Amino acid sequence: MGEKLIITNNIRRLRFFANEMTQAELAQKAGVTRQTIIALEAGKYLPSLELAFKISNAFVVPIEEVFECSTQKADAS
Amino acid sequence: MSISSKRIIFSLAAGIATVFAYTLYVCIVSTPATEDIAHWAILMLIFIIIGVVLQVIAQILIYVLFSIKEEVEENVSGSKRHKLFLQTSFIEDERDRLISLKAIRIGYACAGTGLFVALVALACGAPFVAALHIIVGAGALGSLIEGCASIYFHERGISNG
Repeated sequence: MGEKLIITNNIRRLRFFANEMTQAELAQKAGVTRQTIIALEAGKYLPSLELAFKISNAFVVPIEEVFECSTQKADAS
Repeated sequence: MSISSKRIIFSLAAGIATVFAYTLYVCIVSTPATEDIAHWAILMLIFIIIGVVLQVIAQILIYVLFSIKEEVEENVSGSKRHKLFLQTSFIEDERDRLISLKAIRIGYACAGTGLFVALVALACGAPFVAALHIIVGAGALGSLIEGCASIYFHERGISNG
């Protein structure tokens, strides 16, 4: 009966609209490595709340515009 | 493969080289008497120091090699973004720390098992030197597994859960 949270992000799209900001530039603004940005975009890593806010600040948009959350019903079996 | 993984591979190579050098030294050059625990301890301490020095050299080497690569690419392409690549590749962030924590936990499990096996060996009447080698060997194996786990987490991705 549990629900699974699916967290996705729009970092790739936001980078494109931010004058095609590079992953390295975003990494520098957020204070992380480029590998972390690559992992985030590939959906291989979920950031901490602190990093999520830093990324949204880098794009000057609200956090919910960067990260989206949807629920999926967990399989009963 | 990411820079982090390449750094770990260099570090692993330095560790394997140290273990290989120790094995060669003991098997070919000099084997202290089995009862001479102090001699074995000094030998191991020397090789641990050599290992640490090799690790530092390996890290400096990969930084220098990567800097040269980025400098050459910058000169060829004329782009200024290569310096930024360098700056954003050699810092430790929250993902690196999380991966490090998970990998260290796996490494400790191996080292702990080695300690247990060494105690069992001592209880069964094995010489102290054998137990010492089991402990040190398990520690080295734990480091190797820790490095491999780090590479796996870096390449495959990691969840915070």
